[in-house]
Amino acid sequence: MTTPHAQQVSDTLPHEPEKATLEGRNKVLGFWLFLGGEAVLFGTLFATFLTLRDQVADGPSAAELFSLPITAAATFILLVSSLTSVFAIQAMHRGNRKSLATWLGVTVVLGLAFLLLEIYEFYEYIVHDDYGMTTSAFSSAFYTLVGFHGAHVLFGILWISILIGQLMRKGLTVVTAPKIYVSAMYWHFIDVVWVFIFTVVYLLGKVV
Amino acid sequence: MSTHDLNEDGAVKHRHRQEGPQKHVIAFIFSIILTLIAFAAVAAGGVNTAFTVILLLVMAILQVLVQLGYWMHMKDKGHMIPILFMAGGFFVAGLAIIAALYWMWW
Amino acid sequence: MAHAHSVKRYKGLMDWITTVDHKKIAVLYLLAGGFFFGIGGIEALLIRVQLAKPMNDFVTAQQFNELITMHGTTMIFLGVMPVIFALMNAVIPLQIGARDVAFPFLNSLGFWTFLFGGLLLNLSWVMGGAPDAGWTSYTPLSSSQFSATHGVDFYTIGLQIAGLGTLIGGINFLATIITMRAPGMSFMRMPMFTWTTFVTSAMILFAFPAITVGLVLLTFDRILGANFFNVELGGNPVLWQHIFWIFGHPEVYILILPAFGVISEVVSTFSRKRLFGYSSMVFATILIAFLGFMVWAHHMFTTGMGPIANALFSIATMLIAVPTGIKIFNWLFTMWGGQITFTTANLFASGFIPTFVMGGVTGVMLASAPADYQYHDTYFVVAHFHYVIVGGLVLGLFAGLHYWWPKMFGRVLSERLGKWEFWTFIIGFHMTFFVQHFLGLIGMQRRVFTYLPNQGFDLMNLISTIGAFLMGVGTLIFLANIILSFREKKGVAGDVWEDGRTLEWAIPSPPPEYNFKQIPLVRGIDAFWKEKMAGHQEMTPAEPVGPIHMPSPTILPFLMSVGLFIAGLGFMFTNDDFGNSLLNFMFNKYIVVAIGLGMTFLCMLLRSLYDDHGWHIEEEELKDGGVQA
Repeated sequence: MTTPHAQQVSDTLPHEPEKATLEGRNKVLGFWLFLGGEAVLFGTLFATFLTLRDQVADGPSAAELFSLPITAAATFILLVSSLTSVFAIQAMHRGNRKSLATWLGVTVVLGLAFLLLEIYEFYEYIVHDDYGMTTSAFSSAFYTLVGFHGAHVLFGILWISILIGQLMRKGLTVVTAPKIYVSAMYWHFIDVVWVFIFTVVYLLGKVV
Repeated sequence: MSTHDLNEDGAVKHRHRQEGPQKHVIAFIFSIILTLIAFAAVAAGGVNTAFTVILLLVMAILQVLVQLGYWMHMKDKGHMIPILFMAGGFFVAGLAIIAALYWMWW
Repeated sequence: MAHAHSVKRYKGLMDWITTVDHKKIAVLYLLAGGFFFGIGGIEALLIRVQLAKPMNDFVTAQQFNELITMHGTTMIFLGVMPVIFALMNAVIPLQIGARDVAFPFLNSLGFWTFLFGGLLLNLSWVMGGAPDAGWTSYTPLSSSQFSATHGVDFYTIGLQIAGLGTLIGGINFLATIITMRAPGMSFMRMPMFTWTTFVTSAMILFAFPAITVGLVLLTFDRILGANFFNVELGGNPVLWQHIFWIFGHPEVYILILPAFGVISEVVSTFSRKRLFGYSSMVFATILIAFLGFMVWAHHMFTTGMGPIANALFSIATMLIAVPTGIKIFNWLFTMWGGQITFTTANLFASGFIPTFVMGGVTGVMLASAPADYQYHDTYFVVAHFHYVIVGGLVLGLFAGLHYWWPKMFGRVLSERLGKWEFWTFIIGFHMTFFVQHFLGLIGMQRRVFTYLPNQGFDLMNLISTIGAFLMGVGTLIFLANIILSFREKKGVAGDVWEDGRTLEWAIPSPPPEYNFKQIPLVRGIDAFWKEKMAGHQEMTPAEPVGPIHMPSPTILPFLMSVGLFIAGLGFMFTNDDFGNSLLNFMFNKYIVVAIGLGMTFLCMLLRSLYDDHGWHIEEEELKDGGVQA
C-alpha cells in the first residue's frame, strides 16, 4: 500500500488533507461526477421553466410578481457565503481547525438567512397573493425550479452543520477533511445554480 | 493500494503554495460588480431589450466561470476529469434548453 | 497501521443484506434482474396469447394496457439493467486489477434502491391496478384525468427510486474505472468491456437526471395538482416527450453498449485473436455515446416539430450507423482468420452480429423522417426495437453470462444444454419478431389489444405467438442449466476457457474476497494473454504480499432504501380517503412520507457520524490466490 488509510490520524496533516488518501481522492472525484449529473438535473428544470415562463393563465406574470430588492439581497447573501466557504477551505489547508469551524459556521448562518428570505418570498406569494403551485403552468415551473434549489440549500445547511459538529469532536483529519472539501464544492455549485436562477427567472422575468 | 491516476495532484508533492485570501477577495468583488451590472441594467429599464438579455447572460456566465474556475479550483492542474464531466453535464443541460427554446411551441 | 479491527461477519441472509463485496452484489443484481426478467417475460407471453388470434378476449383492453406498460417498463428498467449491472459488478474490478470498487457502500445502496423501486412498481398489480399509459407514459394519457387509478403513480415513484439506484451505480463505476486501475493499465490498455462500462456509466450520469425531473413533474401534476402538462392552465404535453426522450434515447445506448463490450471480449477470446481495431472500437463507442444524446427527437417526428428539426434529427440518427458499422466490421475481422471455437458464449455472440445488423438497418429506415410517418406506432417499430434490444442486448447478456459464469460461481454451464438454449431462443426470436416487420408495414398498429380477422394479420400473429413461446422454452432451458450446474462441485480452473486474455482469468474461479493477493502489473492490452505469450504462468505482481484492507459490511443501504420505499408509498396516497381517520391522518398529513424520509436521512447521518475503519485480512489468512494462476 502506498497511500495511508483513512483511519490513520497523523499530527502533521498534509497540505491538502482532502486528497491525502485514496478514499479522500475518490470522494472528491465522485462528487465532481455527481455535480455533472446535477447540472443536467437543473438544466432540465430550467428547460421546463423556459418552456412555461409565459404560460401564466389567469395569474400574474413574472414582471408583476417579483420584487427585485429581495432577489438582490438573497443574491448578495449567497455570494458572500460562497466567499466564506472559500475562506473555510483556506483555513483547512493551513490546518487551522478553529478558523475553519468559524468560517463554516458563518456559511451556515448566511445559508439560513438566504433560506428564510426565500421562505418569506414564497409565503408572500402563497398567502398574500393566493398564488400557489396550482395557479398556472408558470407557477408550477417557478415553484419547482426555485424550490429544488431551496431544498438543496436546506440540505447543505444541515450537512455543513453536522460536519462542524464532527470537526469539533473528531478534529481535522484525513477523514473529515474530504467531507468538508466536498461540502464546500456543493455549496459553490448551489451558488452557480442561483446565478442562473436570478438571471433567468428573476431578471429576465422583469425584462421580457 | 496503488493507482494509476489521471488527476493525481497535490497528493504526493505540493506544487503550489498556499494562496492568500487577496485573490479570492478580488474574485468576490468581481462577482459583486457583475451582479450589480445585471441588476442595474434591469432596474434602469428602457434600454434595448435584446441588448439587456445578452448582457444579463454574459454577466451570468462570467460569474459562473469565476465560481467554477477560482472557487471550485477547476482552473488548477489535475482537473481534467472534473472539467470533462462538468462540461458533459452542461452540454446535455444545453440540449434540453435548446429543445425548450426552439421545439416546444410552434 | 496493520492493526486488525474486530469486524462482525454475518452469515446467511444477513450476510447478503449487509454485503459490500462487489462479487456478492453482482449475484444480488443477477437474482433481482432474473426475477424481474421472469415477470416481464410472463407479461410478454400473456400479450402474445391475447394477440394469437383475432377478436380474442383472453384479457380485457384495460388489462392489456397494463400488461404492455409493465412489460416494457419492467424489461428495460428492472430486467436487463440489473443483469448489465450484475456483469459489471462481477467483472469490472477484476478486469482492471482492483480489489474493490471505489465506493463499496454506494454500490450496495445502488442495488437496494433499485430493488425497492422495482418492488414498489410491481406492487401496483395488487394495489389497485398497474400503470396503463405505456412505458413512455405520454401525457395527457398519463395525467390524473385519463389515468385515474394509482397505476401511473407507481410508475413515476417506483421508477424514481429505481433510477436513483442506477445513477448511484453509474457514478460508482465511473470513479472505479478512473482511479482504481492497476499500475500500467492506461486508458488505452483497458479491456473493451471496461471501456463500454465506462462510457455507459457516463451516459447514465447525464441521462438519468433528466428522467428524474420528468418523473418529478408528472408526480407533481398528478399528486400536487401542478400544471406542467395541463393545457388548460398553460401546460405543454410535448414537454414530457422531450424530457422523456432526452433521457430515453441515451437509455437505449446505455443498454446496448455493455452488450457491445461483452461481444468484443467473447469474440476475441474464442477466436484466439486480439480484438481487431481496438482504438477504433474505443472511438466508435465514444462517438455512439455522443451521438446518442443528439437524436432524441427522432422519436417525435410525427409530433410536428417542423421540417428543419426533423431533417436535423434524421441526419444525426443516420450518422450513428457509421460507428456501429465500424464495430460490426471489427468483430467480423476479429473472427476472420481466427481459431474459432463455438462455445455457447460464442454462439450467442455470433448470433448477435447478424441479428443486430437487421435491427440497425430498420433503425436507419426509421430515421428517415418522411418514411417514419408511415412506420410510426406500427408493429414495424415494435419489430425494430425488439431486434436491437432482444436480438442485441439479450443475446449479448446470454453470451456474457455463459462466458463469465465460471468466474462468478466456479462452475461451468453445460455446453450441451447451452446449444439447445441458443437454437430455441434465436429461432423463437426471429419467428416472433421478423413477421412483425410485415405486420407493421401492412398496417397493424402497436398497442392495440385486438384486431379484426381477414386483414392479413391472422397467420403472422399466430407465428409470432408460437415464436414467443419458443423463446420462453429457451429461457427455461437456461434456468435448468443454472440449476443443474449448482449440483456440480465448485471450483474450476482460473483460466477456465484456457484462452482468457484479460486480468479476471489470472485469478481463481470464483475469486477470493480480496480478488488479488498482489495487485498485478499490466504491461499491455490483454494483459494476461501477453504474460502467457511471454511464457509466464502468472502476472507479475506490482506490490509485496501484505495485509489487505477491506470495507465493513453494513445494513444502512438496505434501511435507506426501505425508507425511500415507505416515503414513496406514503406520497402516492396523499389525496386518498381511506374511510379511517388514523390512516387518513397518516397519509394526508404526510406523516408516512416523513417517517420514510426520516429513516433514510437518519441512516445517512449515522453513516456520516460513524467512520468505517474497515478491517484487514492478514498475510497468514491469504489463501493461495492473488495473481498466482
